[in-house]
Amino acid sequence: MTMRWFPDEMPEPAASAETVGWWEAAAAHRLVVQRCTDCGHTRHPPGPVCPHCRSLASEWSTLPGTGRVYTYTVVRQAFIPSLADKIPYVVIAVELDGADGVRIVSNLVDAETEEVAVGLAVEVVWEDMGPELAVPRFRPSVTPGSTTAGTGERR
Amino acid sequence: MTPRRGRRAVIAGVATSDYPHLPHLSEHAVHGQAADRALADAGLTFADVDGFATTGFFPMYATGVAEYLGLHPIYFDETNSGGSSFEVLVEHAAYAVEAGAVDVVLVTYGSVQLSQMGRRLGTGGGGGGFAPGPAIYDALWGNTLVGNYAMAARRHMHEFGTTPEQLAAVAVSMRRHAATNPQAQEREPITVDDVVSSRLVADPLHKLDCCVISDGGGACIVTTEERAADLPRDPIYILGAAHATTHHLNLSAMPSLTVTPAAQCGPVAFARAGITPADVDVAQLYDSFTITVVLTVEDLGFCAKGEGGAFVEGGGLEVGGRLPTNTDGGGLSACHPGMRGMFLIVEAVRQLRGEGGPTQVPDARIAVAHGTGGMLSTGATLVLGREAS
Repeated sequence: MTMRWFPDEMPEPAASAETVGWWEAAAAHRLVVQRCTDCGHTRHPPGPVCPHCRSLASEWSTLPGTGRVYTYTVVRQAFIPSLADKIPYVVIAVELDGADGVRIVSNLVDAETEEVAVGLAVEVVWEDMGPELAVPRFRPSVTPGSTTAGTGERR
Repeated sequence: MTPRRGRRAVIAGVATSDYPHLPHLSEHAVHGQAADRALADAGLTFADVDGFATTGFFPMYATGVAEYLGLHPIYFDETNSGGSSFEVLVEHAAYAVEAGAVDVVLVTYGSVQLSQMGRRLGTGGGGGGFAPGPAIYDALWGNTLVGNYAMAARRHMHEFGTTPEQLAAVAVSMRRHAATNPQAQEREPITVDDVVSSRLVADPLHKLDCCVISDGGGACIVTTEERAADLPRDPIYILGAAHATTHHLNLSAMPSLTVTPAAQCGPVAFARAGITPADVDVAQLYDSFTITVVLTVEDLGFCAKGEGGAFVEGGGLEVGGRLPTNTDGGGLSACHPGMRGMFLIVEAVRQLRGEGGPTQVPDARIAVAHGTGGMLSTGATLVLGREAS
């Protein structure tokens, strides 16, 4: 039940100078996080300046693609009309392994709606949208316990 | 900055426009109606206004409304922080009059969100092409405005054991207040069971955990203590104010999903006013969703973090309860045209004047109005008082 969407009403990802590296990695099915090369602080969404030390220097750090659900919601009302046939669908915030507390928002797929829970171990699945565009969604981990992310507060 | 003698900022007039359904009025007409009434309430006219503040959803908004109202102000402000905007605009206006820049600032709000958009878009969003810059990282997943608040609610439940019934208690209390407000959009009494058995919009938030969507507006007049001495109404003092932000619109950038900017600006505003939460007689707290209120009572220090669920239960937010809140029925029941902050200010002033009607808090001396904007992104606190200190 992997959802393929981006109907007309949904925004198309458009890379900026600050995010192009993230989307290039995604196209190669690598989940990355931006890491400050001066202080080591990780951040998401990608941006030009480290919010911790204000350095302009950063690199893309490749993550294992696993993590735990930090929080979630099940969208049951189709505010976005073209997603009406996807209702209900699950939006999750994932605390990513290896990212020092960084969370990203995505969907839980390949799962029954009732399976979602805070703390659920998940792993990335890539949805190819085109030759140069892939987006990460998550499914319950095939090998539970493989994740090391906590469910605590961001540093 | 301590203002010069007599220049302490006060609110000398307030008004709401008609609400909650105004299919016959334009957005600008709502501003005009509210402005007219607030000036009349203050015993002033448009000729007395030298400063103007409002905000909306396009650039140069305030100048557009000023043109419509025939104002040529020498101070204007259209700071937009979402739902907390009007608390910020009044704080700025207070600084302007205390600094001596202007004498009379008119602050207006107007919206015909209900008539313009119907119910669908109001709590929706998330679709469409509007995902500037980093916003794309949250915009791809079909989440909605209510979905973001739902994710905060789910996290609060996980960390602190907060229950759907506790969230529902907020909606029940607001409805009880709304029942006494003849203008309120929803007045039929509801129970906790009604809330938790209403349909889920975005787990764990039900339809009745969400605000109504309305047309309406309001206005207030900020001037000096000295000027107010010659005016008909008892002035309401702006004792302290502050605002804060933690992130823009990306939930993935929010440091914690259970702590809002109120935790920053609330204590600062209270300190500036020289009060503690225990001194507050009545509160007007932004209630876009039930979880918004639970987070806000914690972050403003009315209870400890994690105890908001217990605090709001059993009529805790009702007149006679721990913290009488949203005595007009709030955004959950009375009126929510999109950026409700002005309604909080108007109701706070009415309570301090003793004009609260059936939901008047006896001898209310200190009121707090706190707005919340964006995806729990901004907060702004105003401490208002019947006396100068």
